[in-house]
Amino acid sequence: MKTAKTLFIALLLIAVAPLTAQTADEIIDNYFENTGGKDAWGNLEGIKISGSVNAQGMEIPVDVIQTKDGKQLVTINFQGQEIKQMAFDGETLWTTNMMTMQPEKSDAEMNENMKQQAKKDFPSPFFNYAEKGYSLELMGKETIEGTETHKVKLTKEPMMVDGKEVPNVTYYFFETENFVPIATQSEVQQGPMKGQTMTNSMSDYQEVDGLYFPFDMGISGQNLKVKEITLNPEISEGMFAFPE
Amino acid sequence: MKKLLYTLLILALLPISTSAQETALKGKELFGDMEARHIGPALMSGRINDIEMHPTNTRIIYIGTAGGGVWKSNDGGATFTPIFDKHVQSIGVVTLDPKNPDQNIWVGTGETWTRNSVSVGDGLFKSTDGGTNWKEVPGFENSERIASIVINPNNTNEIYVGVLGALWSDSEDRGVYKTTDGGKTWNKILYVGPSTGAADVIMDPENPNVLYASMWQFRRTGWSFSSGGENSALYKSTDSGKTWNKIHNGFPKGDLGRIAIAVAPSDNNILYSVLETEEKDKNGLWKSTDAGKSWEHLNNDFGLTVRPFYFSRITVDPKNPDIVVKGGLTGSISRDGGKTFKNLGNMHADIHDITFHINDSDIMYSATDGGLYRSWDGGSVFEIVEDLPLSQFYHISTDKAEPYNVYGGLQDNGSWYGPSSSPGGVNARDWNSVGYGDGFRVLKHPTKNIIYSEMQGAENVWRYDVDRNRTRTIQPLPKKGDAELRFNWNAPMAVSTHAPDRFYMGSQFVHKSEDMGETWQIISPDLTTNDPKKQDQSESGGLSVDNSGAENHTTIFTIAESPLDENIIWVGTDDGNVQVTTDGGKNWNNVTENLTGIPANTWVYHIEASLHGKGTAYAVFEGHTTGDMKPYALKTTDYGKTWKSIISEDIQKNAFVRNIQEDYENEDLLFLGTEMGLYVTIDGGKNWSHFTNNMPPVAVHFIDMQKQTNDIVMGTHGRGVIIIDDISPLRQLNASILEKDVHFFDTEAFTMPEESGFSGSFGTETQFVGGNKPTSARIAYYLKKRHTFGKMEMEIQDMEGNKIASLSPGKSKGINIVNWNYTSSIPKMAAGKTLSYGGFTAPRVPAGTYKVVLTKGKDKYETTIDVKYDEKSLTTLKERKEQEQLTKQLFNMVEELAYMVYELGELQNKANSVIENHPKGEKQAQKLQDELEDLRKDLVITTGDNYVAAAEPELRERMADLYSNIAGSFSRVTASQKQNLELISEEFTEAKKRYSTIKNKEGEKFMKFLDKNELEKPTIKTKEEFLSED
Repeated sequence: MKTAKTLFIALLLIAVAPLTAQTADEIIDNYFENTGGKDAWGNLEGIKISGSVNAQGMEIPVDVIQTKDGKQLVTINFQGQEIKQMAFDGETLWTTNMMTMQPEKSDAEMNENMKQQAKKDFPSPFFNYAEKGYSLELMGKETIEGTETHKVKLTKEPMMVDGKEVPNVTYYFFETENFVPIATQSEVQQGPMKGQTMTNSMSDYQEVDGLYFPFDMGISGQNLKVKEITLNPEISEGMFAFPE
Repeated sequence: MKKLLYTLLILALLPISTSAQETALKGKELFGDMEARHIGPALMSGRINDIEMHPTNTRIIYIGTAGGGVWKSNDGGATFTPIFDKHVQSIGVVTLDPKNPDQNIWVGTGETWTRNSVSVGDGLFKSTDGGTNWKEVPGFENSERIASIVINPNNTNEIYVGVLGALWSDSEDRGVYKTTDGGKTWNKILYVGPSTGAADVIMDPENPNVLYASMWQFRRTGWSFSSGGENSALYKSTDSGKTWNKIHNGFPKGDLGRIAIAVAPSDNNILYSVLETEEKDKNGLWKSTDAGKSWEHLNNDFGLTVRPFYFSRITVDPKNPDIVVKGGLTGSISRDGGKTFKNLGNMHADIHDITFHINDSDIMYSATDGGLYRSWDGGSVFEIVEDLPLSQFYHISTDKAEPYNVYGGLQDNGSWYGPSSSPGGVNARDWNSVGYGDGFRVLKHPTKNIIYSEMQGAENVWRYDVDRNRTRTIQPLPKKGDAELRFNWNAPMAVSTHAPDRFYMGSQFVHKSEDMGETWQIISPDLTTNDPKKQDQSESGGLSVDNSGAENHTTIFTIAESPLDENIIWVGTDDGNVQVTTDGGKNWNNVTENLTGIPANTWVYHIEASLHGKGTAYAVFEGHTTGDMKPYALKTTDYGKTWKSIISEDIQKNAFVRNIQEDYENEDLLFLGTEMGLYVTIDGGKNWSHFTNNMPPVAVHFIDMQKQTNDIVMGTHGRGVIIIDDISPLRQLNASILEKDVHFFDTEAFTMPEESGFSGSFGTETQFVGGNKPTSARIAYYLKKRHTFGKMEMEIQDMEGNKIASLSPGKSKGINIVNWNYTSSIPKMAAGKTLSYGGFTAPRVPAGTYKVVLTKGKDKYETTIDVKYDEKSLTTLKERKEQEQLTKQLFNMVEELAYMVYELGELQNKANSVIENHPKGEKQAQKLQDELEDLRKDLVITTGDNYVAAAEPELRERMADLYSNIAGSFSRVTASQKQNLELISEEFTEAKKRYSTIKNKEGEKFMKFLDKNELEKPTIKTKEEFLSED
């Protein structure tokens, strides 16, 4: 029944949004309007996403925490062990080495790239994007997952990868019917997949205290199934910091 | 606005009132997330037309390929990625904006090395974001082939485009074009005539007002080629293209052919040109040291004069004007300003373009008929880029092996076969050579391990006995009284489904052998038009005779024996005849006159004899060798008396058709191989949809449907073999299904494979590896609408409704395919300090019927699927049931241990809290804590790490490893495993006893202490609660 209500609300939201969008700004405005309103998004201090990654028989529990000031933490649970897979306290990005189970700092480039955008990307890179130095371009319409979308190009400040500056571009595909993004595409910048396009997908949008979030995300071929999203979760400063 | 809101409210409340709009049986969404997979090979790569180096970033290189699109390397040429997959794949030239090379890329389409088998281009394209997005630049829609794009480095809005133009017809679109506004408007600034195109346009490296253009008069037909004429000439402009003057001072009189031109980047007075002339000893390299005022002939070595239409690229070292390289059969390099040359180092033959590294001229890149090569030593030794699956198949076929093999022949790269799936993916090493020269049709004997293959013009037809590694040549040879046999370059062969040893070949006659090519019988008259005007190839080539056999004409091109009746044989010829016999060749009926809408003499590229009716056949025609690019496909149901076009407006206007494949079950499901990719119809040709899911619009030369798997297998001319796995959902699609919100497609029972092997892959880091066919169960369903809001989940359940596994369902509009690898969940493991890898094995389900439950919002949709054991299993059913039972036993044991360790841990936590907070109970608690910890150390690993500091395995590790070994192999449980199980069971029983003793003694005392002091007892979840949480 709750889902039925969600769907109903979704349809209502569609109804209040303008049916045509001419510019990227209008699309973004519709997106914020349809998913809870820009003010509500602006008031968000932090978010905790609890879910699991399903990899054929294995459901690995994952917690993701992000805060307004750019802190991030990804915790996974393997055989009863909490492992901080990735953490960033605003200054230092670090991971846990799976061989030694010890924390290790990420390389300087990656750290710098994270520092550059972590804060700006909360709650969404589109939120006040111009103030952040980001730019948008409406690329036209494209069919993704069989459905018509607006393709919007988001350009952030360039990143450094392997000693060279590279552009930092992500394409977002907003379903024309409801203006929520259902997919993103970006170019892989390093490793064996370098140069290839990585597509992520989003679906199962549901309401959490007035805001809408995707509860199913396909991230590089794996699905993150969200069980619960907590807005403004309790955090302690220590949880993000590199253990000295 | 208010009205709209009201309408939507009504719609929301009455979801049944669907829109009245008729559901279209076409469109991209039909295919949902059905994706093509590419298996290459890249072992034999394909022809590359052009290389473009980034002017400042040495990591970035682009290549434009003959039939496989544009590829970009970000790693100095170690690996490449395709970046032009939504557009035509035949590329003439790639040019970067000199001022903004990271963003602005220009691509002129249409291959410019005009061999018989070249494809066609489709205009001029530009990217302004480094190749992610492309827009067509208006004005070049009919250019067919673009040879040059030249940009003024001082003003990048000033661009010159050289259009070589149509190969098989006159065209007024040829010539040199100029824009001064970055491509918005264009003017044709040099035009010679409808048969003379721009072969090369270059700019003076120092003075952008100075341009050179070589104009070439050329023409191809299906049966001839002509290079050269009075209009071929070399022009120079010194006023940015306003006026042009011939610069022939020193050149021989008479007609000229294709002219190559280059200016030394380090000295703009030095020009090199390669000429094709009427005087053989004046052919080859010419040099000017005064910017074209006068010319001197330097060299007419074979390497410089060979096949000018195919090799016409001169590259001068960016730093040294005396180092000159010329494309050719082997490629040639001079280090003395063009006086003498030697061959470039060994690599695949036919070199079309060569570039130098921007900083180090020792590093060179070479574009060949067989891929891209790199040299690190100035051109002496070359190595191939192993990452470019550009193979150009003329034809493919499949067999019935599991996994099935794909056979096919390649332009200038021989004949091959390889598996459609292989451990670790389809690797270069999986492919086997079965023929030399140009390869075309390769057919597997229907029952024996024998392969037929051929080279150009049936010069050799091989019968290869794979098991004994023996080869025989078996091509039909003329006997006394026979006419001279005319075989096509790509000569037809066919095997029979009725008589396995039967083998057909076509010259102008149909040749039949009943003994695998040992003896041949001619079973037809000359079935072609036998037009003598199209039969003299000895003079073909124009100024340079080029009689390679590639232009042989008035020949049979396709032979199809009906799968329903061996006496019905269809034949199509390259000069437009369709002939059929219904009595095994005694009488032939020329039904060409009955064709509708096909211009006379249009090449019959393929005939498909249908399984759905003896008189039913499909014929596809293509007239590109007369300049007619239109798609043609006809169907007959009455042995060719009447024909009906099955082409619709949905097919691109210039997508000429080379192949058609019918479905074996649904007569209305057809697959059309065109020059611009694959089209599919589900209603017999009324509507067609372009298949674009991981499928570029590459030329599809041949399609086969593999019967056991329902896979569509395509031989493409530029991107190797591309497969669409199991198209059976398309078979079931119809208008009423498209109206349903959710529809599950029926699937046959899935086999749980048991084969397992090794796939060591060292040394393949930079090699292309083709994807495998999934061996998992494929759950296929149709969604009417993309699912975006609300929950949508999928579960596998047993028939009683118990959850077995949860899957991630696709949410696409159209067909969705979800893979299930037949496993349930992994066991919950006891917590330790390190990971127990045995615990990551999920047990496989027993054979049987399972429910698939899709929950979408408040609605539930169900279907069932059957899974069965592998017929090739080495295990008896009884042994398997034992394996399943022991797996279950160990699974439960592993989880029981997990619960025990959990409970023990909770007791320890409580004891710790007493130790810290209640000094009165410290001693008691410490004792309990110590005893529990002693036990825990024997149950799970409590020290070390996951690598070389790993501790000795404890009970958890040994138990999980045994569980994993038994669960993960599908054969009889070994005696040793059973003995090990006994040991571990005993240890576990012992451990449980120890635990129980501790609980009864120290534990009991501890509980009493808690009671007495009114402290809370530890809260322990029940086993069920514990096991069901994350």
